[in-house]
Amino acid sequence: MVRNLIKLEILKRVRSTSFARSAAIGVFVFFIGIFLLGYLFLFGLVLNSLVKNILEKDDAIHFINSCLLYFFLLELIYRYFIQQLPVISLGSFLHLPLAKSHIIHFLLGSSFISPLNIISLLVFGPFALMEIKPLFGVGPASIWLTAVVLTSWSIHWFILWFKQRFEDSLIGTLAVFTTLLISLGANYLGLYDLGAFFEPVFTFALESPVPVFLLLTLVILSYFLCFAFYRQNAYLEELSEREHLQFANKNLGFLSKFGLAGEMANLEWKLIIRHKKSRTYLMLCLIFLLYGLIFYNNPAYQSATGFSYSFIFVGTFITGIFMLQYGQLFLSWNSPVFDFYVHQKNGLKALVRGKYLLFTGISLMSFVLSIPYVYFGWDVLLIHLATFLFNIGVTMHLVIYLALWKPKPMDLNKGSMFNYEGMGLSQFLMFIPLVAAPYAVFLPFAFWFGDYAGLLAMSIVGLFGILIFRKVSTSVAEKVLENKYEISSAFRQEL
Amino acid sequence: MIKINGLKKIYGATTVLNIPGLTIPKSQCFGLVGNNGAGKTTLFRIMLDLVRATEGEVMVDEENVSKGEQWKTKVGAYLDENMLLSFLSPEEYFTALRKIYHLSEQDLNLHLEKFTDFFNGEILGRKKYIRDLSKGNIKKVGIAAAMLGNPEAILLDEPFENLDPSSQIRLKKLILKEKDANQVTFLISSHDLNHVIEICDRIVLLEKGEMIKDLQEKNAMAEELNAYFNVS
Repeated sequence: MVRNLIKLEILKRVRSTSFARSAAIGVFVFFIGIFLLGYLFLFGLVLNSLVKNILEKDDAIHFINSCLLYFFLLELIYRYFIQQLPVISLGSFLHLPLAKSHIIHFLLGSSFISPLNIISLLVFGPFALMEIKPLFGVGPASIWLTAVVLTSWSIHWFILWFKQRFEDSLIGTLAVFTTLLISLGANYLGLYDLGAFFEPVFTFALESPVPVFLLLTLVILSYFLCFAFYRQNAYLEELSEREHLQFANKNLGFLSKFGLAGEMANLEWKLIIRHKKSRTYLMLCLIFLLYGLIFYNNPAYQSATGFSYSFIFVGTFITGIFMLQYGQLFLSWNSPVFDFYVHQKNGLKALVRGKYLLFTGISLMSFVLSIPYVYFGWDVLLIHLATFLFNIGVTMHLVIYLALWKPKPMDLNKGSMFNYEGMGLSQFLMFIPLVAAPYAVFLPFAFWFGDYAGLLAMSIVGLFGILIFRKVSTSVAEKVLENKYEISSAFRQEL
Repeated sequence: MIKINGLKKIYGATTVLNIPGLTIPKSQCFGLVGNNGAGKTTLFRIMLDLVRATEGEVMVDEENVSKGEQWKTKVGAYLDENMLLSFLSPEEYFTALRKIYHLSEQDLNLHLEKFTDFFNGEILGRKKYIRDLSKGNIKKVGIAAAMLGNPEAILLDEPFENLDPSSQIRLKKLILKEKDANQVTFLISSHDLNHVIEICDRIVLLEKGEMIKDLQEKNAMAEELNAYFNVS
């Protein structure tokens, strides 16, 4: 029976539409995955020389052992965000004469086959082989590695349970943020060194196999915690995605001042906060606000005169990431209900205008929120102003114009991590002109007349773009109208 | 065959289903009617243990559906497309079910033969995934799947919806034939009063989760239901 279920699962993955529809992107994502894992493996290979030569720690093993806790805290966090819950196919099996416990075992088992579960092996495997084996021998090295991997696997089951139990609840969010804060803050501030506190656990694994047995018990316990919870709640409405509307039914009141286009922008806003994929993009916008912290106070980017040119790039991202990300899939967001807009009087025109409004609004919001960066100097504020103007004057038009090239349908309810549904080759290629455009204006002026002239040029070009906004948006709307039959028939295809 | 005791389903403050008691004997064709939101599908889902009841229990041959799982071999059902594996072709789906139900290939072929007319040559051998079939054809696949494995009771939610008129007539014949030949109990919810009156021995009318009529007299059904549903 299990073999049949496995066969079905493989068929499902192979035939999943996003895979079949664009094999090229499937291959691309596959290689990205391989590359990422490869990098992690490389990191594992150089880990011991990194610790010894660059960080100049004598006792690499002791150091790694006291760092392991942070690795696992990090693992908790990335698993929380990336790991998918294996509940999707429950509905098609529950009514069949299969024991529920078998189905759940199978679901949990298939969730285990994931690249996330070999990361700890890739990173610490080489270290165990190259550093611990020569000093302690094969036995302790393999026991140590087993202990590390088992801990990582317990986290796998723990996160499956935790996400299902607490997702979208206040406790869950609080717990995640506390973990984040602890992992980032504690060691940095030197208040209490948690890592050193946990270090003996793994040091002990070098001397005795006892921790392995304890951790094995932990893996089994966490598996059964997970299993018991899923088995208990194997009902359609409980394990499915819970939609919570408490904050999702707010209107953005000011938008209604813009007539039909404003109403469309309002609808679009609801679309964004009520779907997982788009919500992630909005979150990304907030995260990118912090992006500047990496650059602006980094000595590597300080120059004696003026500012580093890479700040233009940073500014573009801070004020425009939402537009760049969300705009890439311009019409695909509306693909499930595109016929609705076609059917409305002036609907498509208003849809396009509404999107412009929304992009401008969110871009403006990002700009306002980024004002505190003035702390790092007035240059930063000027850069943000120039890139903001350039973004809404030029980049926005570019994004939208490029996005109209062969839009693809997509399912909004799927997660957005590594989900390339709706992305075609065009969406990947789009990024090049988008990043190049600000520099194309900035560099020549900066070269001939100085950095600030470059910024001024960007602002002027941006303002000019804002002035001709009406004309451009009308021409885009007309292009959509012209192609509406092709677009809507492309969207009507089954996903 | 099926027995319901003090069943309640409550979402927040609203009771969507409240059935103090209901017994469906073997080989009865049981019809469930009611306007939208009356609780028909919820009742079926609870009977199949797909949704947790707030109170009360559903018994299939003395087995509580939320406690045991033996009843699953006796009950076939098709409520909606989510119950199918839409990434398979119909043949593959039936084969997968055949293995789950431990049937031989011959059993499956015999079973599918019964549906030759009903399928009208549009289901098998078309090399299409279930997700690419039309709504009516998806329904046909689901109904044939629900009847697989000689179940003693079959639950169908709106089986006539989306089917063309000829298929509706064929389906009625299929149901009556199964009932007479194998003593199968049918539970059918539908908005098509004529069809349910024609094939059902008993019709229960739901309104906002309450059973407000339990009609067992074939002759009186039409009149009673028309009186209820006729709005002016």
